[in-house]
Amino acid sequence: MSEVVEFFSQPHFWIGLLQIIGIDILLSGDNAVVIALACRSLPAHQRRRGIVLGAAAAIVLRIIFAAFIVHLLAVPYLKIVGGALLFWIAIKLLLPEEGDDQDSGGVDAARNLFQAVKTIVIADAVMSLDNVVGIAAAAKGDVVLVALGLVISIPLIVYGSTLILKLLDRFPIIVAAGGALLGYIAGETMVTDIVLLDWVHENAAWLHYAAPAGGAVFVVAAGMIVARLRRRVLRRIEQRAAEPARSDGR
Amino acid sequence: MEKILIPVDGSANAERAVVHVIAMIRKGRAVEVHLVNVQPPLRENVTRFIARSEIEGYHREEGEKALAGAKKRLADAGIAATSHIGVGPAAETIADFATDIGADEIVMGTRGLGGLAGLLLGSVATEVIREAKVPVTLVK
Repeated sequence: MSEVVEFFSQPHFWIGLLQIIGIDILLSGDNAVVIALACRSLPAHQRRRGIVLGAAAAIVLRIIFAAFIVHLLAVPYLKIVGGALLFWIAIKLLLPEEGDDQDSGGVDAARNLFQAVKTIVIADAVMSLDNVVGIAAAAKGDVVLVALGLVISIPLIVYGSTLILKLLDRFPIIVAAGGALLGYIAGETMVTDIVLLDWVHENAAWLHYAAPAGGAVFVVAAGMIVARLRRRVLRRIEQRAAEPARSDGR
Repeated sequence: MEKILIPVDGSANAERAVVHVIAMIRKGRAVEVHLVNVQPPLRENVTRFIARSEIEGYHREEGEKALAGAKKRLADAGIAATSHIGVGPAAETIADFATDIGADEIVMGTRGLGGLAGLLLGSVATEVIREAKVPVTLVK
């Protein structure tokens, strides 16, 4: 019994859990937004089906990826690769949508449930991988934390779309904070790869602090630079003159 | 005829700016009213999977929701207005828009949906004052 208590009183468990909650809010929330947007134009009952299927696929994919990735983290060099991937994910998270004059991916709007689900499954695959890499890195091998990360992502995938849109509208700083968190975790992950672990411990123990901190700073700086290099988003979506019935004869 | 741009975000505070402009018109000022709602951009993390028409449709829908109250007030007062929806960082987009349409003045609320309660002046209003190239009137 005291072992269980001791387990839960370890600070790194709670820190890991908080990090995982943060990662899930952003990455699973985004996944929910994509599912909702992909089904936007469908008729009501098809939309509901699309969202349910999309959410189910996202959850299943997360479980499958998690099962693989937890084992892979001990393989040499894979944490370095995972860390690099996390940097990539983190920077992507910070970039705003592209403007009018830039060509988006050329995705076509879904006209039926089948097309919507096709779009969603591709999105789910990518976003689930992103989410699981983030969770696995933050969990640092703790299977309980990975499991919790998956469990927490479920309601977020199903209900998170409105939550995250409202949250980010009110507190846009959360995006930068999320990017910094991922960068922090990425730095930490890279430096603890099995091929580097002993060397760092003996020769450059300061990297355990410098790499995560540097990672966070790097992501925020890179995000700001890339966003600035791109043309600023300025879209005029609609221009309509409203001529209401004049009641006062003017 | 003066062109007045009223940025609106669906908040009660923003609507007071509309009420103020309606009062101006009633007092005899000849005003061409333009409403604008600026939507915060989605992240590329999300939009890379979605068709551009869907994204625009989403912004249009959200924009119409935010504009609804203001449009209704103007319609009830029998005043014609042109409404616009933009996407981008709020203050910059409002300021650029005012320049684009040749507005003579911007009339806006001091705190919209984004303002923290207790803050006298919201961050968007503050930035618009900084960025705008035309006079800005703030309505509390």
